[in-house]
Amino acid sequence: MVAPLIEVEALSKTYRVPVKGEGLSGSLRSLWNREYRDVEAVKNISFRIAAGERVGFLGPNGAGKTTTLKMLSGLLFPTSGQIRIAGFTPQDRAVAFLGRITLVMGQKQQLLWDLPPRESFLLNRAMYGVDPVVFKKTLDELVTMLRIEAVLDKPVRNLSLGERMKCELVAALLHQPQVLFLDEPTIGLDVEMQVQVRKFIADYNQATGATVILTSHYMQDIAALTPRLLVIDHGSLRYDGGLIALAERVAPERRIVVKGGPKELSELGFMEVDGDQIATLTPEETNKRLAAVLARWPMVEIAVESPPLEEVMARYFREGA
Amino acid sequence: MRILWMAVPTLWRVAVAGMVAYRAEMVIWILSATLPLVMLALWDAAAIAGPLEGFGQTDFARYFTVTMIVRQLTGAWIVWELNYAVRSGTLSPQLLRPVNPLVYNLFETLAAIPWRLLVLIPLVGGLVAWRPEVLFVPEGWRVPLFGISTLLAFAVAWLVQALFGMLAFWFDQAMGIFSVHFALWSFFSGYIIPMALLPEGVSRLARWLPFYSSLGAPVDVLLGRAGGLEVGAQALWVVALSGLLHLAWTRGIRRYGAVGA
Repeated sequence: MVAPLIEVEALSKTYRVPVKGEGLSGSLRSLWNREYRDVEAVKNISFRIAAGERVGFLGPNGAGKTTTLKMLSGLLFPTSGQIRIAGFTPQDRAVAFLGRITLVMGQKQQLLWDLPPRESFLLNRAMYGVDPVVFKKTLDELVTMLRIEAVLDKPVRNLSLGERMKCELVAALLHQPQVLFLDEPTIGLDVEMQVQVRKFIADYNQATGATVILTSHYMQDIAALTPRLLVIDHGSLRYDGGLIALAERVAPERRIVVKGGPKELSELGFMEVDGDQIATLTPEETNKRLAAVLARWPMVEIAVESPPLEEVMARYFREGA
Repeated sequence: MRILWMAVPTLWRVAVAGMVAYRAEMVIWILSATLPLVMLALWDAAAIAGPLEGFGQTDFARYFTVTMIVRQLTGAWIVWELNYAVRSGTLSPQLLRPVNPLVYNLFETLAAIPWRLLVLIPLVGGLVAWRPEVLFVPEGWRVPLFGISTLLAFAVAWLVQALFGMLAFWFDQAMGIFSVHFALWSFFSGYIIPMALLPEGVSRLARWLPFYSSLGAPVDVLLGRAGGLEVGAQALWVVALSGLLHLAWTRGIRRYGAVGA
């Protein structure tokens, strides 16, 4: 069996945060008697990721996704546990390790704000020691894939959010990293730009075989990009597997929607919603009920739907299924 | 280190490009470091009646002119940059690149020197036109020693600022602590008062502190009031502060993230 690229063993991170009482008296008290509280952001999680995989970290706000990602990239030191990536310990921040990874943070940028993106790209070329010929070829490819020729020489401060995010991706990929850590890469982007960025990440993974690890609040990102899902909740790893399998487990029911269906469908357990007749059923019941509907009304327009992914995940986190 | 040396020309070029982008802000910054001219006006008036502790009007004019030059050549701002980067989390992308963020800042600081010279030359020219006796010929050996001492002063000033900037890894109010340092520095570095005018006991002690090593030492070396001993003290401070910087950095980045990075 091929050794995994990323091995995480019993990883934990505890933050120590000061606790301040309310109001002025609380502030004054904390001056000489500061109290602290331990916050367990990540609790004893273990997983392995093979080279070339696309994996999504999913969880509610404060679940520990970004903390985990920052420990994987070497930004944060774990409180306990082990991480090995391609034979490196991230926290050592060895130059060879930094040359193999990249971290894109939707809300923190590396581009130089008052200079055109091209300057940031040249700076990264120099810092990573990328051969000028390879640099030019990679830059041309990335610029073409992301369609950003027109913005290369405009100051970053004058770019739109979407243009900036695309340039961030270019800056992050010029050294051709083997592992991409993407923290909310589509945050704040409009729908079309989200689609473009998702397509780019998928194409990049296909073309280079790079491993992609992504956190996102957008279920569409996860559904489109990451066949494997790690669900982190309250710092613990709750699920490791495929998205479809999780959805089947959490919300196996189907909805039969009969567009503008006859009112008599209520006899078969349907309810009218906005002029349509709708029934929510188990998978086994769905087929029987479909057959019954079509036997009596063969000409109706009918659709079978799974619950939306957002609804599935909301239920998962709410009910702890 | 291979990657680092290859990066030097681009680091320099991008840093200069950054300076150009901030040109108006830079000029204001540079002009704000011309306090020695104000001090010259004050001390010059005080010395009209006669020399103070051996300092006549010409001595003051020379002292504060050289002080202004050294201040411009040794100016740093890493304390603000680092404090902001740690507190806002913008240090994160910098930490993920193979070149240490401190090294990058060092190049940015060096890249500002030509700009500082651009502002400095007309200022010094104006001073010479006003008070021609400002010009003097130092003993020959003092010129290279002044160069070395200025380089060491730059290193001390930058290292001290970097250390104060790193306090942001531990404290929310690192800049407040730096303000206290700045007050002490203004007094004990020779920035607002020549070391020779301080009470003798204070002056003797202050000559061995990093405040003086970061500004007053090269000024006094050129003007004949200090020599190899003071430059030796500067070199010792550079070694000690570099060690402290390494320690603070390795400890600091372990704490990084506890403040919302």
